[in-house]
Amino acid sequence: MKDTNIMSEEYGEIRIQKDLITKIETRVKETGFESVEEYVTFVLEEVMKEIEEEEPEEVFSEEDEEKVKERLRALGYLD
Amino acid sequence: MIILAIDALEYTLVEEFKCNNLKQTFYGRTDISEFSEPRTMVLWSSFMSGKNMEAKILAKGNKEMWNTQLDLEETFFRYYDNPKIIDLPGFNYEKEHHDMERMLLKKYFESNSEDEKNTIKKEYNNHSFDHHKKIKQEFQNALNGSHDFVLGYFSVADVIGHLNFGNRIMMKMIYKDLDEIAGSINESFIVLSDHGMENIGMFGDHSNYGFWSTGSMDLGTPKITDFFNIITK
Repeated sequence: MKDTNIMSEEYGEIRIQKDLITKIETRVKETGFESVEEYVTFVLEEVMKEIEEEEPEEVFSEEDEEKVKERLRALGYLD
Repeated sequence: MIILAIDALEYTLVEEFKCNNLKQTFYGRTDISEFSEPRTMVLWSSFMSGKNMEAKILAKGNKEMWNTQLDLEETFFRYYDNPKIIDLPGFNYEKEHHDMERMLLKKYFESNSEDEKNTIKKEYNNHSFDHHKKIKQEFQNALNGSHDFVLGYFSVADVIGHLNFGNRIMMKMIYKDLDEIAGSINESFIVLSDHGMENIGMFGDHSNYGFWSTGSMDLGTPKITDFFNIITK
């Protein structure tokens, strides 16, 4: 049963193209999800988890910075 | 004739990110080995004139090079009745916008503070993404118009790549967007880049080949100056 108690949580709204919603509605019937919202929330959470796991820590080395500065000068981007 | 001119479109990333619309039926690398360095202004000027323009453009000096504007008569665009060219380096490059890019790049490398560098990088990235949205719209408008030739020049992969090439998520997002643009074209078109991009740590440098694709003809490993005859034939 859909949890209708949303007083303790905050929700926002987003817009999705209608043809995508139709595809998801068809999909939801074949799954254990009870609504398009539940399915979309699950998919987005999974994607975000994957992205956070994939995202490398940005490490900028001084050596790389000097190398790229030299290259950008040779290419005419920097004086 | 439609040309999707994408600065720094990298062959290996088109493959890695499975950009099937950009690949079309035939795709490959271009040969830019005749040039001493893969400079944007030199390569696009050579593309549209069909001649190696390196000596002529470099003679102007680094600063003035960015102000290069070939006359229509020096390019293959002259063979068309109603050509539309958007933001192409060496022809009608949007000077103010691209000067700002180089100014922010310079500011980034002059800064000694990591926090300040991050702030500058955000401004630099946002400036490029805003411009990209504008160019996308102009390109779509041109495709819906009555031009017999349309060339849309997209700089986002090059500009963002210089400071963010190691950020795979960001680069994938850009390539997917460019792939979508290619997917939106309903007529035959050519995809061409002046050069590709390769890592220096998290930064990006120009690679020594470009990318091409067509829906109808295998071009092998063409020189960028060959496109003058390929297109006008």
